[in-house]
Amino acid sequence: MDKFGIGIDVGSTTAKGLLIDSEKNVRAKHIMLTGAAAAHAIDEILRELELQSGLQLDNIPIIGTGYGRARIEKSTKTVTEITCHSIGVHSLNPEIRMLIDVGGQDAKVIRIGKDGRPEDFELNDKCSAGTGRFLEVMARVLGVTLDELGPLALQSKTPSSISSTCTVFAESEVIGHIGAGEKPANIAAGIHVSMTTKIGSLAKRVKVVPPVCVTGGVALNPAFRHYLSKHLGLDLWIPEEPQLTGALGAAVLAIE
Amino acid sequence: MTEMKKEEKVYRQLESNKLLQQIMFQNMLMGHQASEENRLAWVTSGFPVEIPVAMDVGVSYPEQYGAIVGSQKVGPEVCGYAEDIGYSQELCSYARASIGSVENPDNSPMEGLPKPQALLAGNNICGTVLRWYDAISEQTGAPVFLFDTPPIEDEQPDHHKEYVRRGIERLVAFLGTTFNKTLTDERMQEVADLSSKALGLWTKSLTACKTSPSPLNCADRFLAMGPVVSMRGTELIIDFYQSLLDEVEMRVKEGLGAIRDEKIRLLWDNIPPWHSIFKFFNGLAKRGVVFPADTYTHAWSGKIEGDDLFGSVVSIYSNVYLNKGLNAKIDKMCKMIKDYNLDGFVMFSVRSCKRYSLGQLVSKEIVAERTGVPGVVIEGDMVDSRVYNEAQIQTRVDALLEMFM
Repeated sequence: MDKFGIGIDVGSTTAKGLLIDSEKNVRAKHIMLTGAAAAHAIDEILRELELQSGLQLDNIPIIGTGYGRARIEKSTKTVTEITCHSIGVHSLNPEIRMLIDVGGQDAKVIRIGKDGRPEDFELNDKCSAGTGRFLEVMARVLGVTLDELGPLALQSKTPSSISSTCTVFAESEVIGHIGAGEKPANIAAGIHVSMTTKIGSLAKRVKVVPPVCVTGGVALNPAFRHYLSKHLGLDLWIPEEPQLTGALGAAVLAIE
Repeated sequence: MTEMKKEEKVYRQLESNKLLQQIMFQNMLMGHQASEENRLAWVTSGFPVEIPVAMDVGVSYPEQYGAIVGSQKVGPEVCGYAEDIGYSQELCSYARASIGSVENPDNSPMEGLPKPQALLAGNNICGTVLRWYDAISEQTGAPVFLFDTPPIEDEQPDHHKEYVRRGIERLVAFLGTTFNKTLTDERMQEVADLSSKALGLWTKSLTACKTSPSPLNCADRFLAMGPVVSMRGTELIIDFYQSLLDEVEMRVKEGLGAIRDEKIRLLWDNIPPWHSIFKFFNGLAKRGVVFPADTYTHAWSGKIEGDDLFGSVVSIYSNVYLNKGLNAKIDKMCKMIKDYNLDGFVMFSVRSCKRYSLGQLVSKEIVAERTGVPGVVIEGDMVDSRVYNEAQIQTRVDALLEMFM
């Protein structure tokens, strides 16, 4: 009989669920906004996984991860997102030695050992600098959607100077640039440079060891990838679905 | 039923805690009596307290008071009284707790510390104490004495020793003038002997934690350190440290640990989060995590001895942990990890205590590299629970523990 495992990653902004078989084939997956009640998101994820896979979930082990992991009542066990992301990325690409995960409200840098386990890590979770929230605020100030912000930034050849990495101070700087008539593309590029500088310092704290992988919702932003790669002086490996690596790691652990 | 409940606990209560409570209570009463007799000084934790004690000057510790405010979970309120009169939330929470309690004693634990007649500040633990004690001086009218111990990197040069020694002589003169008291050689010797005796017993209890299972956990030591910090040089505390050591040695002999199922041994760096001390350490104890060593409770260990007692005082109080450079701190942590056979380390980055916390990110990297064990930095504050995010701390510590699985 086939073995299955479910990983649920309840992040600050989005909740992700994944069901895999023993060959690590993804049989069902779902991403949604966490919203105010994590329990509702978890229920919906489980319903979706059941619907997509056509499997009865009752006897399938569930590992919960992410900030809302304690809310997953049906989980067999909870594991931190640090370990889960590490295992998830390792299962996709065992060569990766460093993972930079930038989510909605935190950023983490994890040095991954040869066995896929974290060897060292640093988190930035005290403020929104260097997280998805920073980009959301800046997109709003520039009057574009979050999806438009990255492509807009890539049109620039001369990024504006945004010296602050703090969301509140950087917002004032951006407003100043708008007032001075600076091109939106240059401002958008400056925003990404500021953010990747912040993430770069976090990465340097745990020592950058290539190959480096980037995950989390922010990895979907092409300008973020471009400027981070430039800042670190390295090519970056991005999984096909960078938001799902935490849930994938949790699902792998559930099978194990 | 109660017995059964006790049995279920993952940690073992120390019998000697009863005696500890008694002497801490007695110490508080002695502080009040000294204040009423106009002979009370407030002192910093790294101050050469043996000298005022030998001159019959009573002592109270604002830092210890800060720990009480934290433990009673009223840090935000009492620190808030200092913030209400204009002090920044960035200021040390021990300083805010004492300034706040002087400002608003009616709403502070124990109605604040008894009123001081002098304020004795030693800057070997931090620079904040100077302005903090100046602020208390403005509030209470008590004069401030500064015992200045310039920081040490490597060996202490002779001119440096001479400078600190003059500080001690000035202290004797200051206490003489302020309290009309004198210091005799006999009394100084007697107090130095009592201080050394207590420190000797305390150090033995600490080093006994090299055994596995460790007879003491972090919270045990953070409580038991109280008398050696605030009552050094008094007869009152000898019995307590002897009974603690007896209990520790009995645990070692019988193979009993501070926690019931020791699996992972970690080092703790910095002051503890007083507001969450039991929740934090006992929560980890449930998962088999014990802290046999820490950099904080080991800081009180220097014995005043030899023919030149003042020379010994100079050496001990100049060489305190926080008055030395980062290299000395890193060396000490590496040595503890090796000597106590530890699997990893937790560094508490205390927002209030810049002197202790500065350099932890660099130290973490070096200590992990030198010892080969992983570590984690968690952030928060010892008194002010407003800057202590439990969920974020939990994730960091859990991730560290997952590295051992």
